[in-house]
Order: sequence, then structure tokens, then C-alpha cells
Amino acid sequence: MQSYAAKLIDLIESKSQNIARQWADDVMQHPRTPSFHGLAKSVVIEQGVDFYKLFRRMSMAENPYEEAKTFSWKYAEKIYDEKIPLREALYALMLMRRNLWLYAEFQGMFFTALEKQQAVESLNRTILLFDYVSYQVAEKYEELMREHVNKIFSSARNFMERGCLGRGKNLFQRALIGGLVFLAFVLTYYCHAVGRTSVVFTHLFYIPIVLAAVCWGKKSMVVPVILGLMLLCSHAVFLKGIPYAEDMIRAAMFIVVGFVIGWLMEDIRKVWQLFDSLKG
Amino acid sequence: MAYPLLFIAFEREKAMKAFIAKLVDLTEKNADKIARQWAKDVQTNWKTYSYHEAPEEKILREAREFYGNFQKMFFDESPYDLAREIFGRYAEERYREGIPLHEALYALILMRRHMWLYAEFQSLFNDELEHRQAVESLSRTILMFDYIIYSVANTFWKLMKLERTAQSNVH
Repeated sequence: MQSYAAKLIDLIESKSQNIARQWADDVMQHPRTPSFHGLAKSVVIEQGVDFYKLFRRMSMAENPYEEAKTFSWKYAEKIYDEKIPLREALYALMLMRRNLWLYAEFQGMFFTALEKQQAVESLNRTILLFDYVSYQVAEKYEELMREHVNKIFSSARNFMERGCLGRGKNLFQRALIGGLVFLAFVLTYYCHAVGRTSVVFTHLFYIPIVLAAVCWGKKSMVVPVILGLMLLCSHAVFLKGIPYAEDMIRAAMFIVVGFVIGWLMEDIRKVWQLFDSLKG
Repeated sequence: MAYPLLFIAFEREKAMKAFIAKLVDLTEKNADKIARQWAKDVQTNWKTYSYHEAPEEKILREAREFYGNFQKMFFDESPYDLAREIFGRYAEERYREGIPLHEALYALILMRRHMWLYAEFQSLFNDELEHRQAVESLSRTILMFDYIIYSVANTFWKLMKLERTAQSNVH
């Protein structure tokens, strides 16, 4: 078995360029690996050669699994940089194995009955190597994805970790937003009842509306609705004779702004959950 | 001259099919035993960490279903299409369970290994002729697994992309 494996390894190593070229031809036109079609052929061949040379190193290594990482991690990083989907990267590996085997068969390595018997053993060994590489490539690729998502959503993460969205029972948030709504009531009373004016103090209402939407998502709609109703009721009581049109538009805008921010924050929550699951 | 060659090719194909049928039959009859061996492995292997805490009955069901579906693939006219259909669902279940892709793939690899180990243990490939057929059926088994792995990776990718639409809505 040892000598047979050595024969196979010798063939793979000495013909790595030829096998890699065959693999490149295959992977660059295979319908399941479209992302490889536009790559430079020399780059693809280089990847193939790197892989086929791994056989010798793995056969000599004390820990073949660790040795496989020298190829797998580099391959995963390159594939990720090229924005090639993982499924295609895995299929390209399968094609590497298939081309290797085809080449060995084509060279008449498994002709006699004895060689066929040895072929089963060496086929198992080849598969084991591919199992290691497939696992390591998928693992590394997912790690790179996590890092990428981590980088993109680091600000969102900080935001979430400070206890905003999805922690509806936070007392501090409730007290803060409740206090701001109360202040809005006082301000409205003062402007309408004492000042008899509807000057644009209502811009300040957006502070509790936005904060509530950021903290509670769509559930925060109660805040703009309360503020809008309060504004219209106060207008009805204290500003008789002044047209409603402007305050109605303001009340409607509270609801629209509250809804849009709440809706966007729900989406951010979904992204956060995805990020969290990737992190896990 | 062509007729004897055709006859040999035909006979060879027949022999291989018979051997595959033998392998499939063995797997079918002993699906429960193979599934138990696989479950034991997957629950202790450090490369399938997410399976360690999962209930054994759930894992066994997963394996039994897998071996049942795998047999269908062997004799189907279009195994790739069948793999996409059946193992797309399998991937979706694993995705919803929160199992990372690399672990789901390794669990599949272990399924193949256990199937093969069992066949070897039962001395399915004893004589010279059977060794020759074993190479061919091993190649076919691997081809089926290639389809399965591609389908599983593809479904995972699509599901992740669906989740990512949330991201594109935000930006």
C-alpha cells in the first residue's frame, strides 16, 4: 500500500501542472462554477498546482489535518477575496479530486486486479484529504464572512449592545421617553394656553418620537399617536378660531416619521440577529 | 469486433449495478445500525460540535431519513435534480436549527464514512472482482455525495442571502 500510495503521489506531484491545467479547463466552463469563468487561467492553474502539491506534504506530515490547513486557509481567503460563493468553491474542489482521479485512471494506474484492490485504499485516502480540505475551507470561509459582517455592522453592534433595540423592558428607556413626552405636554400647554401661539415648537416632539422608534421599533407607534392626539386636542381647547390644517399636518408627520424609523429599526434588528447567529 | 466490446461493457455495467444494488441493499437493511454508529460519532466529534447537545432520537431520525433518501438517488435517472430537491429540504432544516455549514458538511462526510465502513466491516468487497467493482461504486457514491454537498451548500447560501435582504433594506 505504501509503495502504491508513493506511486500515486509521485504521479500527482510530477504531473501537477497537467492535472491543474485539465482542472482549470473544466472549472472555467462548468455550469456549477460560473464565478471561475472570468478568472485568469494562470491564477486558476496556480491554485490547482498548490492543491496537488499538498498531497506530498500531507503524506509526510505527522499531523495531516494541520498540514491541510496550509492550502485550505489560503484557498478560502483567495476565494472569499474574489467574491466566489462557497458552494462554487466546494464544487471546484470536487472537480480537483475528479480530475486527479481521471488523470490517474487515464495513465493506466489501476489496471491489474491487485492495483484495483490498492486503488480502493488509495481512493479512500484521497477522499479523506478532500474531507479535511472541504471542512477547513467551509470553516474558514464562514469565519471570513463573520469578520466581514462584524466590520460592517460594528456600529450597529455597539448600538445594540448599549441596550437599545429588542430590550423593551429597559426601565431607563421608558423613564426617559416618558419624561420627554411629559415635557412635550407641558410645552404644548405653555405655548397654546399661555402664549396663544402654534409656532413651530413641535419640532422638539421628534426627539421622543425618534428615540422611541430606535428603542422599540414598530411598537413605538404609540408615542407619535399620543403626541399627535395631544396636539390636536390642545389646539381644539386653547386655539379656537385658528385653522387646524397646520397641526393636522404636524400630527400626521409624527406618525409617518415614527413609522419609518420604527420599520427601519426592525430591519436593523433582523441584521443584528443574523450577525448574532454568525457570531455564535 | 464492436459487438464483443459492447458485450463486455454491458456485462461490466450490469455487474456494477448489481454491486451497487448489494451496497444499497445492505445500507437499507442496516440503516438503523449505521445511523446509530454515525450518531455516536457525530455526538463526540469535535468537528460537529453543534450536534453534541442535540437529542439522540432527533439525530437518529436525521440519519435514517438521509440513508433512505440516499438510496433513492442511486437509482434515479437524474440524481442531481433529486439531490437538489431532497437535500435542499435537509439543508433548510439544519439551517433553521442553527448548525453552521461546515459542521453540516462534516456530518454528511461522516455519514458517507459510516456507510462505507459498515460495508467494509461486512466484508462486502472480498474477492478480486468485487474490489474492481468497489472502486467503481465508491466513485459513484462519492459522485452522489458531491451532488448532495453542493445542494446543501447552495441552499445554505440562498437562505443566508434571504437574511441578507434585511441588510440591503437598511442600506
